[in-house]
Amino acid sequence: MERSFKHEVQSLKLSDGEIFRGEGILAVTKALLQSGVSYVGGYQGAPVSHLLDVLVDAKETMDALGVHLETCTNEASAAAMLGASINYPIRGAVTWKSIVGTNVAADALSNLASPGVKGGALIIIGEDYGEGASVIQERSYAYAMKCTMPLLDPRPDLPSIVRAVEEGFELSEASHAPVMLELRIRACHVTGEFAAKANRPGAHSALNKFSEPAPHDYSRLSHPPVTFAQERIKVEERLPAARDFIRSRKLNEIFAGDLDDIGIVVMGGLYNVLVRALLRLGLADLWGNSRIPIYCLNAVYPLVPEEVREFCAGKRTVLVVEEGHPDYIEQQINVILRRADIATRVEGKGTLPPTGEYTAEIMLKGLTAFLAATRPAGVAADAMVKAVDELIGSKDEAARDVGHLPARPPTFCTGCPERPVFSALKLLQRETGPAHISSDIGCHSFATFAPFSMGNSILGYGMSLAAAAAVGPNLKQRPISVMGDGGFWHNGVITGVASSLFNQGDGVLIIMQNGYASATGQQYLPSSTRHRPGGAATADIETTLKALGVRWLRTVRSYSVATMIKTLRQAMTTKAKGLKVVIADGECQLARQRRVRADDSARLAAGRRVVKTRYGVDDAICTGDHSCIRLSGCPSLTVKPNPDPLRTDPVASVVDSCVGCGLCGEVAHAAVLCPSFYRAEIVRNPSWWDRAVDRLRRRLIARLDGATEAAA
Amino acid sequence: MTAEVRPLSILIAALGGEGGGVLSQWIVAAAARCGFPAQSTSIPGVAQRTGATTYYLEIMPVPASELGGRRPVMALMPGIGDVDLLLATELAEATRQIALGFVTPDRTHVVASLARSYIMPEKMAMADGRLDDTRLVELVGRHARASLILDLDALAREAGAMVNAVMLGAFAGTGMLAIPVEIFEAVIAEGGRTVEANLRDFRAGLAAAQCGQSPAPRPLEKRWRGGAADLAALETEAASLPEAVWPVAVEGIRRLAHYQDAAYARDYLDRVRQMVAVDVAAGLGGKLAQTTARHLALRMSFEDVIRVAQVKSDPARLARIRAELDAADGDPVRIVEYFKPGIDELCSVLPPALARPILAVAERRGWLGRVHWGMHIKTHTVAGYLRLKVLASLRRYRRKTHRFDAERREIETWLAAIADAALLSPHLALEIAECANLIKGYGDTWKRGMANYRAIFEHVVRPALARRLPIAVAADAVASARTAALADPEGARFTATLADIEKRAVPQAAE
Repeated sequence: MERSFKHEVQSLKLSDGEIFRGEGILAVTKALLQSGVSYVGGYQGAPVSHLLDVLVDAKETMDALGVHLETCTNEASAAAMLGASINYPIRGAVTWKSIVGTNVAADALSNLASPGVKGGALIIIGEDYGEGASVIQERSYAYAMKCTMPLLDPRPDLPSIVRAVEEGFELSEASHAPVMLELRIRACHVTGEFAAKANRPGAHSALNKFSEPAPHDYSRLSHPPVTFAQERIKVEERLPAARDFIRSRKLNEIFAGDLDDIGIVVMGGLYNVLVRALLRLGLADLWGNSRIPIYCLNAVYPLVPEEVREFCAGKRTVLVVEEGHPDYIEQQINVILRRADIATRVEGKGTLPPTGEYTAEIMLKGLTAFLAATRPAGVAADAMVKAVDELIGSKDEAARDVGHLPARPPTFCTGCPERPVFSALKLLQRETGPAHISSDIGCHSFATFAPFSMGNSILGYGMSLAAAAAVGPNLKQRPISVMGDGGFWHNGVITGVASSLFNQGDGVLIIMQNGYASATGQQYLPSSTRHRPGGAATADIETTLKALGVRWLRTVRSYSVATMIKTLRQAMTTKAKGLKVVIADGECQLARQRRVRADDSARLAAGRRVVKTRYGVDDAICTGDHSCIRLSGCPSLTVKPNPDPLRTDPVASVVDSCVGCGLCGEVAHAAVLCPSFYRAEIVRNPSWWDRAVDRLRRRLIARLDGATEAAA
Repeated sequence: MTAEVRPLSILIAALGGEGGGVLSQWIVAAAARCGFPAQSTSIPGVAQRTGATTYYLEIMPVPASELGGRRPVMALMPGIGDVDLLLATELAEATRQIALGFVTPDRTHVVASLARSYIMPEKMAMADGRLDDTRLVELVGRHARASLILDLDALAREAGAMVNAVMLGAFAGTGMLAIPVEIFEAVIAEGGRTVEANLRDFRAGLAAAQCGQSPAPRPLEKRWRGGAADLAALETEAASLPEAVWPVAVEGIRRLAHYQDAAYARDYLDRVRQMVAVDVAAGLGGKLAQTTARHLALRMSFEDVIRVAQVKSDPARLARIRAELDAADGDPVRIVEYFKPGIDELCSVLPPALARPILAVAERRGWLGRVHWGMHIKTHTVAGYLRLKVLASLRRYRRKTHRFDAERREIETWLAAIADAALLSPHLALEIAECANLIKGYGDTWKRGMANYRAIFEHVVRPALARRLPIAVAADAVASARTAALADPEGARFTATLADIEKRAVPQAAE
C-alpha cells in the first residue's frame, strides 16, 4: 500500500479516556472497533480508502477482537456482505466511495434493506462531491429514500462523527434497517481529537462463533411473497422506529438564537461552513453561538416531522441549506409544513445555487440573499449584501489580474508503466488516423489530459469494453478499450470480456497490468503477485482470459513502445474476428520504487554493488521543439532555460527524480525524435572487475582522443 | 466572550507528492504540543499524482486551557478574504490561489517558493510556452499583505531533503504563530528516517525567512564559448560591428570555427557584414543585423550527424554527466546514446551526386521516413567511442556533402529575401529573419519545421516580395503564420492561417 499506517494502528488500540488524534476517517475506524463490530469490509476509493487500509495494517488488533476483514472485489460484494446481519445479531460495517460505489452496490442494498437486519449494519460512504472529487456529481441521498435506509450526515467534527458511528449501529438495530453514514471529502481528512473508549469485541465473532446456523425463516428473504409485506414494514414500522430513535436520542441538534422569527435548517456536514459564514457576517461567534436559530440535521433521512414543525413554528421563513440536486430535504420540509398548515416560508434552492459545492463564498452569498429577503430586525442586510458582493468582486478582479493560468491536473507518476502505452497509442494513431478510445476509471484516465488528450467516453469502473460494444459495429475502425487490472477485477471481466466474447465482439482491449489498484493507493488485487502478504496471487489475468475463451491474446512489457505499437497495429488490422486483448505488463512504479529504494539503500549501506540508471538530455543537441514531452508528459522530463547564447526556446531536461524507466530512450527511438537523449548508469560499490574494465576503457579512450587531436 | 480571539488560517498550495500532507501534519503536531486547538484538512484524492492540491489549517493562537472549555467551530475550507497565510511550494500555484481570491491585501501573508514546476502546456509548447516568472513574482507582491519569496528548492537541494521541511522552517521564521523553534524541531525529530536532512532543511528555511529577503530571480545561465588563438583576427574584425551585433557575431564565429573551421567562420562574418549594411541602409539600428546574425550562426551550424557525434564525444560532456550523477572517481559510468538515422540522415553526409539518386529511389519506394537504423551507441566503450569519433571526423568532408549544399542554398535564399524585404518594409525583413526559428530538431521534427518554413516563403514571403500581397499585410501575415506553425504539431492552425492569408493576396491577373 502507498501509505503505511503503523502510527495509526497504535491509535486503534487506545482505551477509555485516552485521546485519539487523527483524521476523520480513522476516527470512524476506531469508532467501529469501539462499537463491537464482528465484520468489516469494503472497496477502496477516495476519500474512504484509509478506513480499510489501516485495518489491513491492524491485523493483530483485529484478530484480538475477532473482527473479520474482507477487502472486497467491488462494492456489490461489500454490500452483500452485510447480509450476515440479516439473520444474525452481529454488527457489521462496510465502506466505499459514493456515488459510484453505491451505484455498484445498489442491487445488494435493495435486497438487504427489504428484509432488514437483526444486527446493526452500517454503510460508511465517502461522498465524493465538490472540490477534489473524481466522480460524477450526484447525491447518495436518493438511495436512502428509495431503500428506506436512514442516512446520517454528522457535523465534521471528530466527536460528532464518532457519535454518529456508535449511534448509527443502535439506530440500525432499533429500526432494523441498514444505516448509511456519509462523510464529505474534507470531513474524511479533517484532523481532530476525541476521548476514546476501549475496543469491544462483538457478542459473536470469530472468537465466539454461533454453534448453529440461523433457522430457515422465509421472512428473512427478499423473495415474493414476503417482499410485499416487507415494503409495508419498511414504511410503517421501520421508518417510525427510526424517527423515534432520532428524536429520542437527539441526533439532530437545535442551536437557539435571538433572531427567532427566522431559522436555518442545515445538513450536519455543512454546519461548519454555515457557522463560519455567520461569524463573518457578525451573526455568530467562534464557539457556534448563532443569532439565527439553527436546526442541524445530523440525520438527514428520515426527517422527523415533529422536530421540523417545532423548529419552524412561529418563524416567518427558514432557509434550507442542502447541497446538491435534487432538493430532497427542502421538498420534504415543504410537505411537512403544508400538511400541518404551518405558513412558514421555505427558502433553499434559488437563494442558494441549485448545484455545486457550498463553499465559503457560496454560503456568504446565499446567507446575505436570505437576510435581504427576510430583513430580520436590527440586521443591516443591505450593507452585508454590498460587502459580500465587493468581496466576490475582488476575487474576479484578482482572477483578471492573474490572467490565464493553465490547470494542473494529476498525471502519471515518474516512470509509470501506463504512460508508454499511451505514447505507443499516440504514435500508432499517427499512422492509422484517430481511433475511438473507450476509457475507464483508474490512473490510466490521466491519459485524457495533455499531452495525450485521448479518450471518447468513460462509463464507469471496468466498463470500457462494454461501453465500446455498440461503437465497433458502427465504426469502420475497431475501437480500443483501455482497462486497468483494478477495473478488470472490479467487474470488467464479466461486463466487458465475457459479454464481448458472448456477443462475438470485434474490439481491441488493452489491460494495464500493474499489480495493484494504484489510483486508490496500491491496494492488492486478486492478481497481485508481488510481495503480497499472505502468499501468492489467487488469480491470473492471462489464464482467466484464456479460460473465458479469448483467442487473440498478447502480453507486452509496457515500456517496450516499439513492440507495443507493432502489437496494437496487428490487433487493429488482423483479419481474425473476435476480441483482441493486449496485456500491458509493468509494475506500478510508485510501489516498485518504494521497494527498490529501500533495497538499494540497504545494499549501498552494506557496501554491495548497486547500478543506478537515469536518463539525460544533451542540452547542446536539443533544439527546444519538445516533441519528446508531447509523447511522454513525465514529471521528470521538463524544460530549462537554453544555455546556448544564440537560442531562446527552453531545452528539454531530465531532473533528478528520474527513475530510469527507459521510456525516454524508447520514445526517442520509436518516434525517431532526436539524438539528444542518453542513458547513464552509475555503478556504486563497483566490483574489482567493474573497476578494471572501466580503467582500461578510460585509458584507451584517452589515448584515442590524443591520437585524433594529433591527427586534426 | 473573547470576540477578538480568532484562529490563524493557513492555506497550503502544493503539488501532489511534494509532502504537503506531512507539512500540515508537522504544523498541527507543533500546535498540539503548545496546546493550541488546531485542525487541518485536505482534498488529496488522485491529486496526489503531481496535480495541484491544497491543504487548509486553522490554529487557535491560545492554549485550549485558556478557552474555558469552549471549542471553536473551525472552517474546513478557505474563504475569500479569510486567509492569514498562504504557503506555496511552487510559484504558479501561489498565483492560482490569488486568482481564486484567497490572497487579499488586507490580510494574507504569502510565503512562496521561487521554484517553478512547469505545467504541461508550458512544457509541451513547440517553442517557449513558459509563464513569465517575473510577472508571477510581481503578482504575489501586488496581492499579498506581505510576501516572502524564497528559493526553497535551492535551499532543499543544499540541505539534501524535501521542500516541505524548508517550508516549515520558513513558516516558523514568519513568527505568525507563537510556537518556539524547539517545538518544531521536536516534531520533526519524531519523524523517523530522514530526520537529519529534514532538520537541516528546517533550519535553512528558518534562517532564510528570518533574514526576510526574497532573492532575485536566478539569472539565465548562458554558456558562451571561449576564444581561440587562431580566431583573434576574425574577432578583432567583428569588434568593429555595431554594438548590438558584435557579441552575437563573436559567438557565431567561435561556434562555426568549432563546428567546421576558421574559413567557415570567415564566411559567416562576411555574411553578417552584408546584413549590417542592409540594416544600416534601412535605418534599423542593428536590430535586423543582430537577429539575422543570431539565426545565421544557427543555420550555418545545422544539426547533422557529424555535429551530434562531435558533441557526444566531447570529453567535457562526460565530465559533466559524471558530475550530474555525483560519481566518485572510481565509480564506473556507462553511457548509451540513442541514434536512429534514416535514409535522409545517411544521404546528408554523402556527396550530392550520390545522395540525389538514392533519395529519389527511396522516395519512389516510400522508404523515406519509414526506414531507419536504430543504434544504441555505448559511448563508454572503446568501440562506441570510436564510432562517434569516426562520425565526428567526417567534418573535414562536410563542405562536400549533400546536406551542406542544400543548406547553403536555403540560407542564401533566406538572406536575399531579408535584404529584398528590408527595402520594402523593415518589419517584414525582421519577420522573415525570425522564420529561421521554425527550422530545428532532427528527423520528423526538422521535416515539419522545414515544411512550415517553406510554406511561409511560398505563400507569404514570395507573394509579398512580388507585390502580390500588400506590404502592410505581409509582415503581420508572416508573424501570424510563424505563431500558427508553433501552435500545434498537427499543423491545423497553420493550414487555416495560410488559407486566411491567401484570401488577402491580390490575384495575379489583376496586376
